Amino acid sequence: MTEKPLVEIRDLKRTFDVSKPWLNRVIEGAPKQFLKAVDGITFDIRRGETFALVGESGSGKSTVARMVVGLLPASGGEVIIDGVPIADTSRAAEVRRLRRRIQMIFQDPYASLNPRWRVERIIAEPIRALRLAESEREVADRVGELLSLVGLHPADGRKYPHEFSGGQRQRIAIARALASKAEFIVCDEPTSALDVSVQAQILNLMRDLQDRFGLTYLFISHNLAVVRHMASRIGVMYLGRIVEIADGKTLFARPRHPYTRMLLNAVPDIAMTGRMREAVKGEIPNPINPPSGCTFHPRCPFVFDRCRREAPPLEEGVACHAVREGRPVAA
Amino acid sequence: MTEPVLSVRDLRVEFATRRGILKAIDGISFDIAEGEVLGVVGESGAGKSVTGSAVIGLIEPPGRIAGGEIRLAGERIDNLSPQAMRHIRGKRIGMIFQDPLTSLNPLYRVGDQLTETIRTHLDLSPRQARERAIELLAEVGIPAPEKRIDGYPHEFSGGMRQRVVIALALCAEPDLVIADEPTTALDVSVQAQIIALIKRLCAERGTAVMLVTHDMGVIAETADRVAVMYAGRIAEIGPVADVVKHPLHPYARGLMGAIPSLETDADRLVQIPGAMPRLSAIPPGCAFNPRCDRTFARCRLDRPEPIVPAAPADAGHRVACHLYDSAEAEALP
Ligand SMILES: Nc1ncnc2c1ncn2[C@@H]1O[C@H](COP(=O)(O)OP(=O)(O)OP(=O)(O)O)[C@@H](O)[C@H]1O
Ligand SMILES: Nc1ncnc2c1ncn2[C@@H]1O[C@H](COP(=O)(O)OP(=O)(O)OP(=O)(O)O)[C@@H](O)[C@H]1O
Ligand code: SF4
Ligand SMILES: [Mg+2]
Ligand SMILES: [Mg+2]
Repeated sequence: MTEKPLVEIRDLKRTFDVSKPWLNRVIEGAPKQFLKAVDGITFDIRRGETFALVGESGSGKSTVARMVVGLLPASGGEVIIDGVPIADTSRAAEVRRLRRRIQMIFQDPYASLNPRWRVERIIAEPIRALRLAESEREVADRVGELLSLVGLHPADGRKYPHEFSGGQRQRIAIARALASKAEFIVCDEPTSALDVSVQAQILNLMRDLQDRFGLTYLFISHNLAVVRHMASRIGVMYLGRIVEIADGKTLFARPRHPYTRMLLNAVPDIAMTGRMREAVKGEIPNPINPPSGCTFHPRCPFVFDRCRREAPPLEEGVACHAVREGRPVAA
Repeated sequence: MTEPVLSVRDLRVEFATRRGILKAIDGISFDIAEGEVLGVVGESGAGKSVTGSAVIGLIEPPGRIAGGEIRLAGERIDNLSPQAMRHIRGKRIGMIFQDPLTSLNPLYRVGDQLTETIRTHLDLSPRQARERAIELLAEVGIPAPEKRIDGYPHEFSGGMRQRVVIALALCAEPDLVIADEPTTALDVSVQAQIIALIKRLCAERGTAVMLVTHDMGVIAETADRVAVMYAGRIAEIGPVADVVKHPLHPYARGLMGAIPSLETDADRLVQIPGAMPRLSAIPPGCAFNPRCDRTFARCRLDRPEPIVPAAPADAGHRVACHLYDSAEAEALP
């Protein structure tokens, strides 16, 4: 029997109203405009694994992350965590208990840490709010433990966030996420603002903590090398949809979707193997007016008439007519 | 021997602060030849941008160039008047920054900004300047340039805007381009296009480029030589293949190992312990010594100067580390 996944995302959607103000619409006769930031995506995350979402800017990664942690309501579909749909109002108590097991780490740790609180208070807050400690003494001990765990000194608790570097602040954000005994951590570009050497420290730390506490990560990044290093499975997003899902090794060894191939080809070759990069065509189209059919078709080297008419469904891990019909998609 | 386009000798830049004088750049030297791309990498705060600003004469108080020389095609430019420097900037040195919006005025049409800059530096009529602008936009890969030239910056995507900035940097046909993180804000797909563009223009026009970036992949693909900076000094400089594939300086080794790669599997990334010291607390001797796993007594006393490594290396390779001093050669791995 296979274990039930910890997180199940079912046909998740999010539409934003990006219309001009009502008065302008009336005067200019402009219609209402909607942007489908996330357009029906489905995937599972197993316990203890790292599932990554990659894709260009604007593909909808952060919108998915915010819906998964409940910061943003979905326009459609479901997020089910440990069997409980997080939007199910009839199970409010269960959902509340669930929430504390989910934490989020953002790209800019400074923005998510209260600048007026000392670090010890920032980390203690979830411990106090969730009554995870019997006494103030125990709270303080726990804060000290958490700081050591993420490679800081217990005495650093007396300082304020601005006294730390970017990498150290990200460590504080991780310590706070662990303070609530979170099992599932959604990380939105956790190292994108950091130097490569600091990034290595944070990625190593995240993996150590995962091994130690069996954490499950939803890991979002546009850096494919980072994703390859961290993820067991990867979903590739394009304009609000998942176009390919595969386990990490397979995706990098045998990318199937033309967009995945294009992304992989665009990564600068640090090993200097002499591999020539393929010229990338075009940029992500306007999401308010996405192309018909397969939204990748204007950039796709393998496009044929069916692609312009029909949106390809995600089947067996890939959403592409050419792949489905067995047409050649290798360069 | 032909003169390098840019020659920097023993450059020092200081900032006067309440806590005293901070040495942001502490004696660095390098050259960039015609048609050459010098990549500059290193930790945040190492002094990459300050070096670029010094070359284009944009160090502002409380900062100042405290020593050394900067030569453009043999002529000293570090002691020019602001007036004379303004003329060189844009005309002989082009600039590309991370955020294209800092270089583009949102209120002006792209075409007006281009023609104005072209006419400031080249003796052309408005019509000729507009034609030149359209040519430039085409050259940097903007489709339908004769239409797009009348658009405003916000009507362009991030990648397209960066292309416009590149067109702007190139419009006076400069000898040298300083590009500070030109692709950091862009997606990999667009980044690849911009890098290819910089490379092509450099090859076709013989422009010298100083390319500052965090992205070692971009360096590996674009640069001919690379300088690794640490705490205001150059730790290692040399041909890109040598420095990226076989770095010598312990900091450069750590930096290269810290980068996750698409080609190789590693369970853990190489991790350099600790963080770069603050400028106000640079340790004596080698600035890297508290984080280095090879430190020995001399590292805490003498500041290492760039030397040709004792190990076999390309003639242009320099490393500022006592391990590579022939007197210490027995300490080599
Ligand atoms: N609150 C909002 N109102 C209107 N549009 C929004 C809102 N939030 C996101 N969007 C749009 O939804 C789309 C997806 O955005 P999202 O931030 O999820 O992308 P992303 O994949 O995280 O991109 P990035 O890599 O740049 O962070 C974009 O087109 C964005 O402009
Ligand atoms: N106006 C200023 N006043 C005081 N110190 C400054 C000033 N500008 C820069 N510095 C200092 O000079 C040092 C070098 O900064 P620089 O911006 O060159 O770093 P960098 O290598 O470009 O880093 P990054 O990768 O973060 O862009 C830093 O320690 C910085 O704090
Ligand atoms: S469906 Fe068609 S357009 Fe879309 S990726 Fe596949 S081949 Fe290309
Ligand atoms: Mg995002
Ligand atoms: Mg900089």
